[in-house]
Amino acid sequence: MPVPAPAVPALRAEHLSKRFSRTVAVDDLSLSVSPGEVFGFLGPNGAGKSTTIRMVLGLLRPSGGHVEVFGVPAHDVGRAHRHLAYVPADVALWPALTGRECLDLLAGVGPGTDLDYRAELVERFALDPDRRSRTYSTGNRQKVALVAAFATRAPLLVLDEPTSGLDPLMEREFRRCVTEAADRGQTVFLSSHQLAEVEAVCGRVGILRQGRLVEVAGLRELRRLRRSEISVTLAHPVAAGVGFDGVDGVADLQWRSPVELTMTLAGPPAPVLRALAGLEVVALDVREPSLEELFLDFYGDHRSSREELRA
Amino acid sequence: MTAGTAAAPTTSAAGRAPEPGAAGWVVTALAVRSVSRGAVLVAGVAAGMAALVAVQHRQLDQELAGASLAALAENPAIRTLFGPPVALDDPGGFTVWRTGTAIAVLVGVWAALAATRVTRGEEEVGRWDLLLAGRLRLPAVLLRHLAVLLGAAALVGAGTAAGLVLAGTATTGAVLFGALIGGTGMVGAALGALAAQLLAERRAAAGLAVGVLLAGLLTRMVADGVPALGWLHWLSPFGLLGRSAPFAADRVLPLVVLAAAVALLVAAAATVATRRDVGSGPWRRSGAVASGTRELRSLPALAARHTGRPVVGWGAAVVAYFLLIGLLATTMTDFLTENPRFAELAARAGFAELGSVRGYVASLFTLLAVPVGGFVASRVAATAADEVAGRLTLLYSLPVRRVRWLAAELTGVATGAVLLAGVAGLATWLGATWVGADLSAGAALAGVLNVLPIVAVCLGAAVAALAWAPAAVLPLGVLPAAGGYLLLVLADTLAWPGWVRGLSPFAHVAAVPAEPVDVPGLAGLLVVAAALTAAGLAGYRRRDLRG
Repeated sequence: MPVPAPAVPALRAEHLSKRFSRTVAVDDLSLSVSPGEVFGFLGPNGAGKSTTIRMVLGLLRPSGGHVEVFGVPAHDVGRAHRHLAYVPADVALWPALTGRECLDLLAGVGPGTDLDYRAELVERFALDPDRRSRTYSTGNRQKVALVAAFATRAPLLVLDEPTSGLDPLMEREFRRCVTEAADRGQTVFLSSHQLAEVEAVCGRVGILRQGRLVEVAGLRELRRLRRSEISVTLAHPVAAGVGFDGVDGVADLQWRSPVELTMTLAGPPAPVLRALAGLEVVALDVREPSLEELFLDFYGDHRSSREELRA
Repeated sequence: MTAGTAAAPTTSAAGRAPEPGAAGWVVTALAVRSVSRGAVLVAGVAAGMAALVAVQHRQLDQELAGASLAALAENPAIRTLFGPPVALDDPGGFTVWRTGTAIAVLVGVWAALAATRVTRGEEEVGRWDLLLAGRLRLPAVLLRHLAVLLGAAALVGAGTAAGLVLAGTATTGAVLFGALIGGTGMVGAALGALAAQLLAERRAAAGLAVGVLLAGLLTRMVADGVPALGWLHWLSPFGLLGRSAPFAADRVLPLVVLAAAVALLVAAAATVATRRDVGSGPWRRSGAVASGTRELRSLPALAARHTGRPVVGWGAAVVAYFLLIGLLATTMTDFLTENPRFAELAARAGFAELGSVRGYVASLFTLLAVPVGGFVASRVAATAADEVAGRLTLLYSLPVRRVRWLAAELTGVATGAVLLAGVAGLATWLGATWVGADLSAGAALAGVLNVLPIVAVCLGAAVAALAWAPAAVLPLGVLPAAGGYLLLVLADTLAWPGWVRGLSPFAHVAAVPAEPVDVPGLAGLLVVAAALTAAGLAGYRRRDLRG
């Protein structure tokens, strides 16, 4: 499959919107993904990620704006879909077909498949293809779609929460496949609400919230946004003079009891660890915040809700 | 913020304990919600149909209509379909003969489909896992759904009786008829529930239950046609309806037999439910398949795979029915030759060659449009269901235009429809030849192919519905055939104006092979079918996909 000239974006949306009667699912979304990029598409449930992807695939018609895949309008699916492969969030297969029949069908009708690589992927994902898909679990159905998509040489892979049903071993295999695809020059558009997964494979992320694209940032900037929550238990109450106020990246410091304290941390943990080194620490817990907490933190709701709690 | 506040949520969360015993009512309420809309609709149709026919019969000019009515009553197709007429001079008796079998089939099939849908259908997609994670066990959940279904069937029966009483018929007959209709619905529901326990897939269970019901219809036809086998009436709900003869003999014993059958089926369903795993069934197909046996690499291959199994199922039913029609050919026509007065009346009312084998099979071939129309509508409805279930999402992420996939599916469905018509013709010819009736294979095939334009209209209506009303593909797709046939029969019986009759596709099809083919009529039907299909394809190409 020849990849078109790099000047053409792999995916380009301009002022894209979708209304369902009164609900605005996607609102004036503009976005461009370059060929070869691994792009993370983040957002909480109901943010409009799947609706956006269904418009990219031509399954839904935009209420406004337009979207192109390698310069081909998305509604021209006969041409646009020669450039892409897709894994849905909730994979539904015909129950009477076996996994192998589904794979053969997708390869036979799809944009071209590397059959040797597909056989390798079936092994790597530990998929038993000779069972009727009626008997497959959610994870196994997802594996069928993943194997079919990764085995294509389509220049754009559109993955909509592809690991929600996979176990950690398979999730690791998935990340390897994304890396291999990126190494081959394929563009990956990965929708997810798992921050760790996005962080592991994506170079750039877009954050969607209530149908609007609120942030498009590189991974380094994303790291800056991350705040971990640290709880510390000490052996003895410490003198009032000991403090973390001056330590880099620490905020929201709270003493829950004379020997227990919590704080949030942005950036590297070394300064905090140095400050703790002088104390007798009996327990230390570092918890990464969920994406939802990150959103609240980043967009200000967090501060106001915490103030409400205090009141 | 202090440590003291941390304990607070535990006490507040445990505030209200659930009342014991409420779980059962919650499940019953859920079942009522999933059944009620269909029950009210079917009750309305059954009551309305019965009342309409009864009222119109009372207003009919008996002198004028008598002759054509008697001729119609002796039309072998009508006799085979509706049973021998009794008490035609009574509005109630006439209504029972005219609408009894149709209403009983409608209510029975609806109940069987509803039962498999709310039990196995819900279980198959995993919603019962949530339900059974609660305090109720599988047999209890099943029996609560079944109780609601039996109640719904009783409601339909009561509605039918009320409709007849309001139309001014005798109360005893109306109540008996209502009870028989409700009982047939109960048999359908219990059959559906039992099939849903035995088979692990909703579609298979629905097919089994409806198949058994329709076998009951065949049984009644055999019992009507062959006097020596009259006792077969007792094995079929439709036969019991005939035996009971509301408004004529008003016998109650068949009703008792019907009730016993319901009790037996419910007990069987409950027994299987106590012994099986959730999500499984004793007649379950194996999930593993030998590798590399079948190739599936193209859209036409997938469409063929989709259509193959349903064609075999519908084909078996159609072959059984039309083989029987062929075998009964001489029995029915002999009756008419022995009663020349009827033949004369029939000729005057416009039924050419009614007494001949060709006239007899021609009027039954017309009926073939109903099952074949049902087949094409159900296949397009399956495409709509695939869409809602998300099974088309992966397909449409390939370089596949929607019209291309739909064209592949529709080609498979149309091929299936032609095959079904063909085997129906061959089965009739085989049956007729076996009993020595005069019917050539060519005449039989001409007769079945003659009704395919009506099936094409069904296909067009279903495709248009897929584009503009995707939730109602099945009813709208069946409407031209089932609704059209009913309209024609009512229009003929009750002397409705010609333009009303002309709305039925059947008004534009000649009785082949007894009459020559009505070429302009067939061409008109094909134009309508093409227009509907084109509009549907255009709409389907543009609309948002569901699911």
